[in-house]
Amino acid sequence: MSGALPNAALDVRNVMWLLASMAFVVAPHALRLPEWVGVFFALVIAWRGWISWRAARTPPRWLVLVLTAAAVMATFVAYGRIMGRDAGTTLLVLMAGMKLLEMKTSREVVLAIHLGFVLVMTNFLFSQTIPLGLYMLACVWLFVATLVGYHRGVGRTPTVRERLVPAGMLLLQAVPLMLVFFILFPRVQGPLWALPQDARAGVSGLSDSMTPGNISKLIQSEATAFRVEFEGDIPPYSTLYWRGPVLWIFDGRTWKVPEFNITGSQDYSRAERPVRYAVTVEPHGKHWLFSLDIPGTLPPGSGIRQDLQIRSVRPVDTRMRYEMTSYLDYRYGEHLPQSFRALALSFDERRNPRTVALGRQWAREAASPADVVNRAMQLFNSQFTYTLEPPLLESAHPYDEFLFEAKRGFCEHYAGSFALLMRAAGIPARIVTGYQGGEVNPLNRELLVRQADAHAWVEVWLDGRGWLRIDPTSVVAPDRIDGGINAALGPIGVIPSLIAADRLRILANLMFAWDAMNSQWNQWVLGYNVERQRQLLAQLGLEIASWQNLALWLIAAALAVGGLVGLGLVLRDLPVRRDPAVVAWERFCAKLAAKGLVRAAWEGPFDYLARIETARPDMAIEARHITERYVEARYGPGITRRESRELLARVRRFRPA
Amino acid sequence: MLANLRQRVSDWIFRARVPEAPPVTLVQRRIFILPTKQGYLFAGVLLVLLLASINYALSLGFLLTFLLAAMGSVAMLHTWRNLSQLKLRPGRCDAVFAGDTAYFRVVLESPSRDRFAVAIRRRGESPVFADVRASEPRIASLAVPARRRGRLACGRLEIFTRYPVGLFHAWSYFDFGLSVIVYPRPDPMAGLPPQQSLAGDDEGVPIAGDEDFAQLRGYNPGDPPRQIAWKALARGGDLLTKEFHATASAELWLDWIDARAADPEARLSVLAHWVIETERLGQSYGLRLPGVSIPPGRGDVHRARCLVALALHGEGSAS
Repeated sequence: MSGALPNAALDVRNVMWLLASMAFVVAPHALRLPEWVGVFFALVIAWRGWISWRAARTPPRWLVLVLTAAAVMATFVAYGRIMGRDAGTTLLVLMAGMKLLEMKTSREVVLAIHLGFVLVMTNFLFSQTIPLGLYMLACVWLFVATLVGYHRGVGRTPTVRERLVPAGMLLLQAVPLMLVFFILFPRVQGPLWALPQDARAGVSGLSDSMTPGNISKLIQSEATAFRVEFEGDIPPYSTLYWRGPVLWIFDGRTWKVPEFNITGSQDYSRAERPVRYAVTVEPHGKHWLFSLDIPGTLPPGSGIRQDLQIRSVRPVDTRMRYEMTSYLDYRYGEHLPQSFRALALSFDERRNPRTVALGRQWAREAASPADVVNRAMQLFNSQFTYTLEPPLLESAHPYDEFLFEAKRGFCEHYAGSFALLMRAAGIPARIVTGYQGGEVNPLNRELLVRQADAHAWVEVWLDGRGWLRIDPTSVVAPDRIDGGINAALGPIGVIPSLIAADRLRILANLMFAWDAMNSQWNQWVLGYNVERQRQLLAQLGLEIASWQNLALWLIAAALAVGGLVGLGLVLRDLPVRRDPAVVAWERFCAKLAAKGLVRAAWEGPFDYLARIETARPDMAIEARHITERYVEARYGPGITRRESRELLARVRRFRPA
Repeated sequence: MLANLRQRVSDWIFRARVPEAPPVTLVQRRIFILPTKQGYLFAGVLLVLLLASINYALSLGFLLTFLLAAMGSVAMLHTWRNLSQLKLRPGRCDAVFAGDTAYFRVVLESPSRDRFAVAIRRRGESPVFADVRASEPRIASLAVPARRRGRLACGRLEIFTRYPVGLFHAWSYFDFGLSVIVYPRPDPMAGLPPQQSLAGDDEGVPIAGDEDFAQLRGYNPGDPPRQIAWKALARGGDLLTKEFHATASAELWLDWIDARAADPEARLSVLAHWVIETERLGQSYGLRLPGVSIPPGRGDVHRARCLVALALHGEGSAS
């Protein structure tokens, strides 16, 4: 089975196709990796193109070895190692270039194409958006078309159509089977081996402190924080504040959960009926559990602090589910003990002086604490922009820098500066971190809360009113609270001026549609994991007990779908119903051939008959009858159905000795 | 040694009833399919892609892996289908002289759809590729050097394909018992045969020759073109052949005894040269070999008959 590929393998046009596919797949990398990688690869492509075009010689082996060594060294110099996502990808791109340069045989060409498939995969380490996915699909198509081209070579090179159409058909027909595998292939939790440090930004969940910048990192994670099943209707989106760690301690930059235990009596009055729900929280390694403001019951094995933070006795190291009730309309903490009041007013006088001064100025001018709150909200409303990529605040006075210079920030910037303003104005304030909103799964009405929904807000204490939730982000980006993080970032973060000019809201609607599509993509494609798989299969009525069970289902479904596709292909060329006279004649010839009387291709029926009559007089009569019937049927006036069936039966009985 | 054993096992497994009656249709049970080396390499790459997808939890990586895996499975069907229901018939296999190239021809016909890069090869030789368009018979010619005179048997042929992506090798065997007659290589140094008249007869039995024009008769296939009555044809008549009478004395016997040469093969070469030369000169001739005697005559059919007798001399079935 060797050497069967025609020598057209290194034909100019075939090589050009390979080079083009490679250039396409490496192009996105050229934008991400250091410039010299892209430049090197472009040069290699050009060089190889020239070699093939001019039928020049490939570079000598020693030169390729030297270049390879240089590539490894350059990678090491650039990254300090040759493993890991960036360095590994760089090295792979360089090696693919070397392969292109030196390839001489068809085997090496095929190897290069396989390398191309691996390069497609490396792109996904960097980005998994819809556009990149489509682009990479096009790359795969190009590679398969190149592969088809290599195996089409029979003296002449195939046309563009003759490459793209069969490759496209192959991929199209592969889609059903791909979907079966994607849905049913048993997913496993967590990596198989330790990930390189740069594989992902380290995201796990909320921490017990808040510094400008650390929540916006969380926002980029599509990982699930927890899921909620409500009994009855899901409450309005704007009331879905999932309470997590409460931060009291402030050092001018970072807000922290107090080390000591805040306990005390909880005095809260509740109205109306509670909301009932069950929370399934993903492991996050910390003690806190999440609930809607304000909790009415406690999960087993947990306690509640005076600031309404629920803490589990054991750290949450495995997925756990608990049932909760909450009162959304509440009053609480009307009596504030002196020690807590002092804690909720303390700040470092020397840090953020301009913010502190502004707070104090408001305290002097305002009629009431409520008025101070309103002034702060108006300030944010008028001049500030919500963005996921706030400038780095690295000075000793980060909130001054944010309030008076940058004016662009994320929820932790707004919450942090708001709380500091309040404390400076003499209003007790604290920061609550947790999650806001979530995404309703339309199939099962389950609310999915992701790390991306992480949020921070403020609680201020007003005399006679108790602790009151204020969300300064809501005035800057109301969509954030009403529609979730994507709604907030779509129009506001990207091109606000265009949106403003868009009277008919066409652009806005398009962006919302795009956003919705992205959300579906995130939910069903990127976020398809163990949990979602189990959930989807449960909806399809499949209770999957174990992965072995799932593997059996996978095999069954793959066979069924693959069988259908195959049947579709095979049915198209089943032999058409054939003339029974021809069938009979062919069978007759086959029987004689088995006895050594092979009918030559050019031999007419009567010539053949004459030969039979000479060679085997014993069956001359029968042979003559059959031949005459056949000739009559094919070349004469034709015979009836019954006669042709008789002919067939006669041939069946015909047994040459 | 091992390769030899493998060959024998393969022969035993894939043995076919020989020869087969044409046309042979490649039905499902005749077609075998196995992954190629490239196919195994592809499977290895898929495994790497799968592990990377699992480890980095890359959903698009899973999609890519599964798309390629499914593409591979579909490609298997396509490769198999590229042979399935293909019709094979033996083509014309013309006689050649030893030292020339013989061509075994196989007619490929696809009733339903186009097939690409279908290859046919003899064992151990390089294949011939052909694209077969739907209902457009295509002839594949396998060139084989004809080294020795005699009957050159084609033997079992392998038909295979790796189209479209080379991950699978689908193949089948067939044997029409094709053979080519290889004439002895004419010996150009042999000169002309010794002239020799037939002793003791002068009864004036006319023998077909080309000295004296005798009559026109209807054309028979095999009549030499230069005897066709072109003028009669040009006048709008039928295709006619001019018949001549040659005198019996012009008749010549090419005899084994007269062809003096070092060994029997060389004698056959001398005789072959004489047959060709005499035919070229338009003389009537007969051939006498030990055990074979072909009465005098002329024309392409006669010439072929003589050359066949020379080719198969000493091989038993000299018919």
